[in-house]
Amino acid sequence: MRSLRFTLGSLTLAFMLAALIILATGGSPITVFSALFKGAFGNLYAFGYSLIVYRHYEPPIEIFRTLNRATPLLLCGLAVAVGLRAGLFNIGAEGQLLVGALAAAWVGYAFKGIPALLHIPLAMLAGAVAGGVWGYIPGLLKAWRGAHEVIITIMMNYVAIRLTQYLVNHPLKDPNTLNTATPFIQPSAQLWVIEKSSVFSIGFFIAILLAAGYAFLMRRMSLGFCIRAVGQGAEAARSAGIPVARTLIITMCLSGALAGIGGAIEILGLYHRFYDQFSSGVGFDSIAVALLGGLNAPGIVLSAVLFGGLNTGAEQMQIETGTPLQIAGVIQAIVILLFGARYLKRRA
Amino acid sequence: MTPSPIPIIQMANITKTFPNGVVANDDISLTVWEGTVHAVIGENGAGKSTLMHILYGRYQPDRGRIRLRGEDVRIESPAQAISLGLGMVSQHTTLIPALSVLDNIILGNEYAAFGILNRAGAARRIETLAKQLGVELPLHARTETLSVAAMQKAEIMKALYRGAKMLILDEPTATLAPQEADALFRLLASLKSSGTTILFITHKLREVMQHTDAVTVLRGGRAVGERITRETYPEELLALMLGQRTAGPSVPLSEEAAASAPYAGIYRETEPPETPPSPVHPLPWERGPQSEMLGRPPQSEFAPETSAALPSASAAVPLLEIRELLVLNRRRSPAVQDFHLQVSAGEIVGIAGVDGSGQKQLAEAVVGLSPIERGQVLLDGAVLNGLSVERRLQMGISYIPEDRHREGLILDFTIAENLLLGRQRDRRFGGGWILDLKRLAQLGDRVVQEYRIRAGGGDTVAGTLSGGNQQKVVIARAMEGHPRLVIAMQPTRGLDVGATEYVYDTFRDARTKGVSILLFSLDLDEIFALSDRIAVMYNGRLAGVLPRAQATMEEVGRLMVNG
Repeated sequence: MRSLRFTLGSLTLAFMLAALIILATGGSPITVFSALFKGAFGNLYAFGYSLIVYRHYEPPIEIFRTLNRATPLLLCGLAVAVGLRAGLFNIGAEGQLLVGALAAAWVGYAFKGIPALLHIPLAMLAGAVAGGVWGYIPGLLKAWRGAHEVIITIMMNYVAIRLTQYLVNHPLKDPNTLNTATPFIQPSAQLWVIEKSSVFSIGFFIAILLAAGYAFLMRRMSLGFCIRAVGQGAEAARSAGIPVARTLIITMCLSGALAGIGGAIEILGLYHRFYDQFSSGVGFDSIAVALLGGLNAPGIVLSAVLFGGLNTGAEQMQIETGTPLQIAGVIQAIVILLFGARYLKRRA
Repeated sequence: MTPSPIPIIQMANITKTFPNGVVANDDISLTVWEGTVHAVIGENGAGKSTLMHILYGRYQPDRGRIRLRGEDVRIESPAQAISLGLGMVSQHTTLIPALSVLDNIILGNEYAAFGILNRAGAARRIETLAKQLGVELPLHARTETLSVAAMQKAEIMKALYRGAKMLILDEPTATLAPQEADALFRLLASLKSSGTTILFITHKLREVMQHTDAVTVLRGGRAVGERITRETYPEELLALMLGQRTAGPSVPLSEEAAASAPYAGIYRETEPPETPPSPVHPLPWERGPQSEMLGRPPQSEFAPETSAALPSASAAVPLLEIRELLVLNRRRSPAVQDFHLQVSAGEIVGIAGVDGSGQKQLAEAVVGLSPIERGQVLLDGAVLNGLSVERRLQMGISYIPEDRHREGLILDFTIAENLLLGRQRDRRFGGGWILDLKRLAQLGDRVVQEYRIRAGGGDTVAGTLSGGNQQKVVIARAMEGHPRLVIAMQPTRGLDVGATEYVYDTFRDARTKGVSILLFSLDLDEIFALSDRIAVMYNGRLAGVLPRAQATMEEVGRLMVNG
């Protein structure tokens, strides 16, 4: 309850500060925010009207764009949340997402002539494994040598960025294009599209399914119990017979795998090939998503959609009102600062 | 030893209550004479460190006065303490690892001219000082490359460099090897001969007897006695620390001697000896083990239980066998060595010993939390070495840790979730890949009722319970699931009489069901009230094992201090 109040309070504060900045630059917060909202969720009034009066079901396209943006945020948010539940601050979701995306892209284009029902899971699995390995390394270093996961995951991000850059520029580069990108994936590896013009695929629903899995893991499974125990009282967990080192390693693998699946869905559902630097900091935004969502599944889904909406809405807002895109970044940054401060205070 | 009869430090009626309500110091008075080595001893939590921090200005007392060389002072900060000639060497180093030893020593008191640091001049001064004391210090080495003993020397030099005439050391030998400790005491002796007054905290009686002139004993935040070292003996100090009644020093001071001694008036609570002095020390535990004041059953009531447990005690294969055990502490020196012990089914073996005699490492080696360096631990003939805590728990070894907040419970978890810790794969507890939350909830509610835990139900958060009820949760977890051996570390520490009695009943019940208990306690009354046999640890070794029927407190006490 207190946590919900804090969430709503910090969101309000973030929007209020953004409003002040808009005022200071001579804009009107109401116009800007309504453009932002319309850009994120479309004309909901028109949608509702046509649904009720004409029984005509056609959701605004902005919603699909927002959900597309929300999908990797949701998966990386889950990744960060798993780690935080065990007391691990995984800053490496970005790197894990990148290696997962590239692995999925490779399986997607290099394997030919297999049915979609096999190809899609295989490519997703490749993404999960690659991301999982990227989480395993800091997990292992943490459990064995006590190396701080924040430092290691940040360094792993750079390794991932440069490694994928190299691979997509040389060995895995599509020779038939000027882009630095892999070849397009086979149609059998593409996620089924639900809405064509926004390329909205089943990827979002896979993410929702995994969010449900996350909730089940934490509430109902002994592994989730161990993760929570290690996060809330490592010394007591160790004394009572919970394998702390093993739990830390598994948690980091799981965290990396979720981010890796996030990357895989980006490729299989949206881009259909791996472009160099296709991801712009989703892995970092997801830290705010996890904290804003209170580390629980429904909260993370909501905050992922909110952040997705901020991203898509900001573009519309810039076109309509001339307010710079970065105002959405300001809102996100304030939320991150408030939640980060609270999290650190709790730990200390 | 000819100390001048001036009290250099006088602390009078010091009282300090912490915001959490803990009364750390309760009306403590302390007198230290110039040029002496004075020890402050007491069990963990007796208030020693708090008192020293008050003297050094880190804490402000709620009440009480401090006088230095007869003048009233208010010490409001360590900086002020330093300017008054005090120096403190904390238990944990305050040196900066990346700086050189020299820089650490001069830090905060740099030797500079026109803002330019004169390192060479400072180094010369320190070297002269070190030469006088016979100390060798690598001044230009990076501090992190030093051994703990060398860092301690650097800390002492740092205090002296700032002109300390009174040196406070907080458990200086806790992290030292025996030879290093001897070297430290040689340094302290030469400091003393150069006129420095030394005040140090310890709970090692050997150090007090060998290296000090006077000693103050604290227990439960109160000063319970002040003695001249050569006129006391370890058993008496131990009795004061543990709270036994004592018959006083073996050789009483004559009236005149007491009056003319520079320490006149420092005796407190010293009753005149009731028995005439005999060549053998009159031993402090004449009173015997029964302590009616705690409302425990008189000895006769549990004697039958003891004999009932004895037949199984003579069974062929012991339930627990410890053979030639060697366990190292974090600094890789032996904490437990050459230890051997057998425990039969349905037997309670009490492990007595002065705090820090290796009890914790022994318990952890049996439970699986500390690696076994050499030797073996066997349960029912099966070697446990290398098995995980969880595996040993499945085999029937459960653990009641010493510190229930840090090691025992997860305070944000519910009672039921705390019961599941370590049992997360045990079906009887609702464990398994997928948890059986219904069964876990039932277990929680049943435990709350059965162990009379004052809580609404199993879903109450552990952190909201009182200390006694929290301990009941820890004990319930150890007792549920049919353990065969329970390792209990200080199971009643901090509990009131009712809760303590409840724990004892639980243990006695378990014994009649054939459960063995290895009971580690610093409270001899507790050891005597519950044990079938009493093993005494001294310096990590087994000093002796006595059947309860033949053991006397005096004998156990002697083994505790002399090995």
